Amino acid sequence: MDGDYSSESPTETKKTKSKTPRKPKESLLKQKSPAEFFAENKNIAGFDNPGKSLYTTVRELVENSLDSAESISELPVVEITIEEIGKSKFNSMIGLVDRERVDAALYDDYETEKAREKRLAKEARAQEMQAKNAALGKKVKETSATKVIKGRGEASFYRVTCKDNGKGMPHDDIPNMFGRVLSGTKYGLKQTRGKFGLGAKMALIWSKMSTGLPIEISSSMKNQNYISFCRLDIDIHKNIPHVHLHEKRENKEHWRGAEIQVVIEGNWTTYRSKILHYMRQMAVITPYAQFLFKFVSDAPDKNVSVRFARRPDVMPPIPMETKHHPSSVDLLLIKRLIAETSKQNLLQFLQHEFVNINKAYAERLIGEMGPDFSSKMHVKSLTSQQIVRIHQLLRQAKFDDPSGHCLSPAGEYNLRLGIIKELQPDMVATYSGSAQVFEGHPFIVEAGVSVGGKDVKQGLNIFRFANRIPLLFEQGADVVTRTALKRINWSSYKINQIQDKIGVFVSIVSTKIPFKGTGKEYIGDDITEIASAVKYAIQQCCVQLKSKIVKKMQAREQQERKRNLSRYIPDASAAVYNVLKEMTQLHASKKIRYEDDDLELLRKVSENLLTKETLSEKLAKHVEQVDYEMALEYATQSGVSEEPRETIYIQSLEAENKMIDLQTPFFVFRLFQ
Amino acid sequence: MPMADNKKRRRKEPTGDELPFKNSLKSDSDILKTLKDFSTASASSSSAAQTLTLQDLPLPFRCREVADLSLSSVQSNIESLILRIAHSILSGHGFSFDVPSRSAANQLYVPELDRIVLKDKSSLRPFANISTVRKSAITSRILQLIHQLCIKGIHVTKRDLFYTDVKLFQDQIQSDAVLDDVSCMLGCTRSSLNVVAAEKGVVVGRLIFSDNGDMIDCTKMGMGGKAIPPNIDRVGDMQSDALFILLVEKDAAYMRLAEDRFYNRFPCIIVTAKGQPDVSTRLFLRKMKTELKLPVLALVDSDPYGLKILSVYGCGSKNMSYDSANLTTPDIKWLGVRPSDLDKYKIPEQCRLPMTEQDIKTGKDLLEEDFVKKNPGWVEELSLMVKTKQKAEIQALSTFGFQYLSEVYLPLKLQQKDWL
Repeated sequence: MDGDYSSESPTETKKTKSKTPRKPKESLLKQKSPAEFFAENKNIAGFDNPGKSLYTTVRELVENSLDSAESISELPVVEITIEEIGKSKFNSMIGLVDRERVDAALYDDYETEKAREKRLAKEARAQEMQAKNAALGKKVKETSATKVIKGRGEASFYRVTCKDNGKGMPHDDIPNMFGRVLSGTKYGLKQTRGKFGLGAKMALIWSKMSTGLPIEISSSMKNQNYISFCRLDIDIHKNIPHVHLHEKRENKEHWRGAEIQVVIEGNWTTYRSKILHYMRQMAVITPYAQFLFKFVSDAPDKNVSVRFARRPDVMPPIPMETKHHPSSVDLLLIKRLIAETSKQNLLQFLQHEFVNINKAYAERLIGEMGPDFSSKMHVKSLTSQQIVRIHQLLRQAKFDDPSGHCLSPAGEYNLRLGIIKELQPDMVATYSGSAQVFEGHPFIVEAGVSVGGKDVKQGLNIFRFANRIPLLFEQGADVVTRTALKRINWSSYKINQIQDKIGVFVSIVSTKIPFKGTGKEYIGDDITEIASAVKYAIQQCCVQLKSKIVKKMQAREQQERKRNLSRYIPDASAAVYNVLKEMTQLHASKKIRYEDDDLELLRKVSENLLTKETLSEKLAKHVEQVDYEMALEYATQSGVSEEPRETIYIQSLEAENKMIDLQTPFFVFRLFQ
Repeated sequence: MPMADNKKRRRKEPTGDELPFKNSLKSDSDILKTLKDFSTASASSSSAAQTLTLQDLPLPFRCREVADLSLSSVQSNIESLILRIAHSILSGHGFSFDVPSRSAANQLYVPELDRIVLKDKSSLRPFANISTVRKSAITSRILQLIHQLCIKGIHVTKRDLFYTDVKLFQDQIQSDAVLDDVSCMLGCTRSSLNVVAAEKGVVVGRLIFSDNGDMIDCTKMGMGGKAIPPNIDRVGDMQSDALFILLVEKDAAYMRLAEDRFYNRFPCIIVTAKGQPDVSTRLFLRKMKTELKLPVLALVDSDPYGLKILSVYGCGSKNMSYDSANLTTPDIKWLGVRPSDLDKYKIPEQCRLPMTEQDIKTGKDLLEEDFVKKNPGWVEELSLMVKTKQKAEIQALSTFGFQYLSEVYLPLKLQQKDWL
């Protein structure tokens, strides 16, 4: 992936060539292009605008931290702080003197006389309306205090700090890890969190573009008695780190981890909910991590502090590196594999550089390639034509599907706990599918469906995860959204698609997620393998839920039966009584023959011995009896599992035992306090 | 058949008349002669054929039919039912109604009768059951209200009935459904309950009848015609010199024919229920057909819905199948607009509509229905519709001029005796 961009941007290479006229070394030119390429095309890395840049910076830092902690099998603890920096504070930070506006009309947000009149008139009208509404007793919507419209060039700046308990970084590598974009090419194939492998580097480029302030890194590794501190920025043209300060500091507390601090332009107001959603969804899919998110500004009412506590302490295994599946390779990849392989001949190359090719199969493949191929031929001596032939054969030949053992799904356990932890739903069901294959890449679909919960809106709430990171944008065209909306018949699972609070969680992990669109924000709906796997996984959850829901409905019916039956007693008894009453009056005038017991009944009615209340009482008694019988029947059917739940208190292990023993000769009362 | 049509069309084209096919019309007197023959033939056939009833048929199961009952017998039926319930309540057993099932599974089309009848399956509606408590409460309330109507001897509309206890009924669909249940349960027609629907159908043309004692001449009712009285027992003394009854699906086509005084050119009675027919229009049509012994010709849209409406007039709706004996008019002829007419009368493409998925499904379902299957001509037409996936409304004929329907299409159809 990383290599692709450098090869795709020859124009940039040329441009830099003309700017910096003398640099004949080819390799250096190649290294320069990526930083510039991303600076100019920052939207593909998720830095479309200041708001989104803030969001992407947060997520890149968080994901880096998780990767770092997981790589040493440490339960992640991530603290992320966004600090708003006012304009004057920012100016003082960069050493600029605040200047008052002298020529007010020079500025874009200057209010001309006409505009002012217009605004005042509008405000007066609005006030009038409000007064009218208030007089009419209508609910008055709190008019948002006259919005401060930010003028052009009036940017907001934020200091984003991310601290983790991860692996840390070797002291000497820090400058290159941050100050050089796309340094090494990855060999092999692995399920990774990052979308472009840019991590904090892109945030650094963005800070360089928007504020010009350097990034600050503190890090310490295991058994290191110092903390590495580094302040650096990046030379975008040369793609090399520009180190301001790089020193070792005291590490008294034996802290291990990394803390990265970057000052960027952003927009908290518009991306507040996105960032919070991101954190919440991250907490769902990574319940074994502890997150502390803080937003700090000058206005205390705007401050946010959310803690996402750890629930389980079981981490999914670290995804393993795997070799390419023969049916997934392209020509470029074969060439790269050939260039990088340590194997000498073609047979070994096929056998060792791909999965699902054993020696016998490699021999059969070579035999099929044609007479000018042999097992012993030197793999580096293959001509371009021969490589094309190999590619063609790999495409057409039949191979076993890759196994999913190299993948690291969140796991049903974690997904379930994550959902319960963050949404506190009434019901939840999870399902983990088996590994399947799309274009030679294995994938696993896991799904969870929840009903009810806090902070969940009515209808479908869709949570999408790809390689265990949440996807928040471009939801409409995504395979999960489409499947949940169009292909699941919710009502057949007794779920009301409009009124119930439904949470749909789908996590897809793969060595290569087939993203659509430049932003890598959604998975297309056109891949049948994935679409059917997603549908199946959601359905499996729904099937589990259905039995629970049916049971719950029965239980509720049990509780409400008597009330619902009793509700209609007055209507029914009044109707019957009124007819009887009419009959007695008619009976007096007309001669109609009735049976004896009927006559007796009518007599009672006319003498007020039988009233509406009598009928009501009798009906109520009957209802009670029926209710009792049904309850008995229900109890015998469902068993005694439905005991009333009580809150129980468990003593914590660490806490000091405070108790009073009341001794008697025969027993001891122990009171816990 | 199609070959002959093609020839005919080719012959006519070169004349270049402003209204296509107009010159193939013979004089009105000729058409009238054919119509008279048809009318007398159908009158004699209908009088000759003894109307079959359920009792005449050796059916393997019992069927439920209702009859017109007098007010007093409805009243005593209700009273004995209420007495039974009161005893049941007092003995501590709660109560329940035995309501005939009106579900699709309990319906049957009887080809000999050419209508849908209700089988005798019924379901218990106990009060002390969570799924039926509401319905049985509503049922007892409706019984009480009808009992009052019987005592007072007045008529109310379904809407009136609903508004007497909005809180209990919640919405009119529920009270209407229970009303049908009640008439089924008491074994009487809905009209005998003294509950009527609002006026919907209208009639115009060569018909004189008495409505509550007033003589009505339907040729002198203005353009809109006379509204069909909601309770058929008000109607009597039908007289007519018409040769046939023209049943029109829609208001628009009805208006055209009424304004053009089509009934004066070809003596007829024109009826419409403006869409799905209500009970009173169906009762009225049946009464006209049986008393005046006139043939009935239907003019409906060329879509599955049009045929469905035709079937409701002909063999009844499933909802009211318990009263199909009184509500259905046998032997209705499908005059137009038939799917084959679209090509025959060269209705341009832009006036035809593509059928929706739902339309096609309805069409295919209709093909499975017995009342369609018994008429091979209908099967052929409907298959053509489903095959071409095209539908057209009666208004499509207006493409040749607003009066094309009354000036050319209908006269030509009548002249050719082109009905199925």
